[in-house]
Amino acid sequence: MKKIMLYALSTCPFCKMAKKFFETRQIPFDAVDVDLLEPEEKERTVQKVQEISGRRAFPVIVIGEIVIVGYDELRIKEALQE
Amino acid sequence: MNASEKILCPVCRISFLLKEAKEEGKTVICPVCGAVLTLTKAEDTWTLQRPVHLSPQEEIRDRVENFARLRGYHFNELKEPLIEGLLKKHDRYGDFYCPCKIDNIPENVCPCLETRSGSVEKDGRCHCGLFWK
Repeated sequence: MKKIMLYALSTCPFCKMAKKFFETRQIPFDAVDVDLLEPEEKERTVQKVQEISGRRAFPVIVIGEIVIVGYDELRIKEALQE
Repeated sequence: MNASEKILCPVCRISFLLKEAKEEGKTVICPVCGAVLTLTKAEDTWTLQRPVHLSPQEEIRDRVENFARLRGYHFNELKEPLIEGLLKKHDRYGDFYCPCKIDNIPENVCPCLETRSGSVEKDGRCHCGLFWK
């Protein structure tokens, strides 16, 4: 099973849809609402998101080695199958 | 200010030509971002201000509706959760910053610079999924 990490914002509907995607399929994943983190951890996490995605926008989904910026069901499904 | 002078939108920070007659308190819609603004005069200078008579909910709803109409964009079922996200941002950070971006800075005020610069034309939707082509 590939390790899945979802970087999200609590205000972002596509982030909620990404969480729901994994939950409804009972696919284990880790998630963090970056905007709700304490300032230092938030900045550290945002830096990491920027490094892996090149952006400061959400959601960012990491499936194994694959980084998906934004909510794209097709790409998520492809990444899970690869 | 004569008819050919530009006036600054306090939301998107773009100056545009105000061709209509100027009256104190008149409502003006920014042709760039769709913001509902109030024309005011102070010491012979006309300026546009954010409306004080609208609630935050009315202000952002009017703005996104106007922007979609100006650009020919559409909404879908994501509209309501995104309005909710924008209102949360307004409550927490004082303005309608993009609900899907971490930085609460002027260029991310909805409709954000990326959206006003044509991302909907390129990607079929804005990053958040509020505006669709």
